[in-house]
Amino acid sequence: MGEIVVARELDVRGLQCPMPLVNAHRAIKQIAVGEVLKVLATDRGSLLDFKGWAETDDSVELLQQEEYTDEQGRRVYVHYLRRVEP
Amino acid sequence: MEWKTQFTPEEVAELLERGVGFGVLDVRNEEEFRRWRLEGPNTPQTLHIPYFEALEDEEAFVSRVEAELGRGPILAICAKGGSSDWIAQEILRPRGFQVANMIGGMEAWGSSYRIRLLPESKQDTVRIWQLDRFGRGCLHYVVASEGEAILIDPPRHIERVLELLSREGLQIRAILDTHAHADHISGGPALAERTGAPYYLHPYDGIHPIDVLPAQIPFAFLQEGMRFSVGSAALDVLHIPGHTLGNTAFLLQGQKRYLFTGDSLFIQSVARPDLGGRGEAWAPLHFRSLRRLLHLPADTIVLPGHYASAAREQRADGLFAAPLGELLRSNPDLALQEEEAFVSYILAHLPEFPPQYVDIKRVNAGLLRLDEEGLNELELGKNVCALSGAYTTS
Repeated sequence: MGEIVVARELDVRGLQCPMPLVNAHRAIKQIAVGEVLKVLATDRGSLLDFKGWAETDDSVELLQQEEYTDEQGRRVYVHYLRRVEP
Repeated sequence: MEWKTQFTPEEVAELLERGVGFGVLDVRNEEEFRRWRLEGPNTPQTLHIPYFEALEDEEAFVSRVEAELGRGPILAICAKGGSSDWIAQEILRPRGFQVANMIGGMEAWGSSYRIRLLPESKQDTVRIWQLDRFGRGCLHYVVASEGEAILIDPPRHIERVLELLSREGLQIRAILDTHAHADHISGGPALAERTGAPYYLHPYDGIHPIDVLPAQIPFAFLQEGMRFSVGSAALDVLHIPGHTLGNTAFLLQGQKRYLFTGDSLFIQSVARPDLGGRGEAWAPLHFRSLRRLLHLPADTIVLPGHYASAAREQRADGLFAAPLGELLRSNPDLALQEEEAFVSYILAHLPEFPPQYVDIKRVNAGLLRLDEEGLNELELGKNVCALSGAYTTS
């Protein structure tokens, strides 16, 4: 996969379920169709929840998920979501 | 009854046991919901809609809930209790629904216990508590006499065990694991470290069967013929290979006779012989070990390490226990009395092998170390230690 161009980044590290997804849902409405939202979350449950969300909501496409450990030693789950035409 | 806004998992288990009517709204994602769900002696009607569907179309979400479960009483549940609380507070309660949240979600459901004193032991010189980890179907025991206690298959949440011991004023004599567990993490090594009491395991189970590596935890050797005294009672060790090579059962002689079968004989099934990766080689051993147990006197009270279905295996008083003679008549997996027939039946009816069981054994052997979140994740779901018998109809 080539470089993903991110239109907006949402940092919800430290927030518990359901807030990462609630905030991402709001944020993706604020970007244009075709643009990508990048979400940083520390809630491990977000991996399956974002996947499930993209499967049920036809205006959202999940491009990629990745993980890394941030400078505070927290495991971070990164989600790349594209807003698409439903 | 009054429907609160929050219930602990223990309170929910009690509601299910009392047969209180309510609907369950499970808002987890599809994958987690498919893995396991809330069950009990009276499993309630369950509606599954992931919480994120409420974000997309709140009114459609609400109408589906109302159509399936009415306006309450409803118990909302999710993975850790956050999303279901949000759904209850933000979406349903403002619209007049009678909805409660289960605190801590399914993670807490799988880590909660109900502790019951075996009534048969009330008149005995020895008392037996059964710790029922109801979300997962795991059973753990405290055996006590004259201020002394022996722990059998203690769970990872050792505080619950220590609370019981301190409430009853008991000193631990020994900590025994019937075998190296594959479905849950043992509290044995941690309790030994905390209290100084010795932790016992059969040496054959001190080797990880898949990795073929020795355990990196301190343990004393449990062997056939050993006897542990606890107050005025005595506990005899029987080596019964099959489920594992170092599988054991404990026969307690009080005024009555009690048999802690661990993972060998359950109320409605028997243990599976394949979790060590050698089902074909171990199934014949399992058959002979079970036969040996079945030759004990018929009034011996069997106290198993697991159950699959509370509805089918739990007594009216909440305990999981039955005399051996009754199991001979009612346990479908004991019907085959010839070794060859039993072995081919058992190998043909093995449930799916849960992949995380290899890692759980590594944790129990001290070969893998994980943080609390990692341990919680490994232990998610119900145990699958029994043969299919108890599962096919549940």
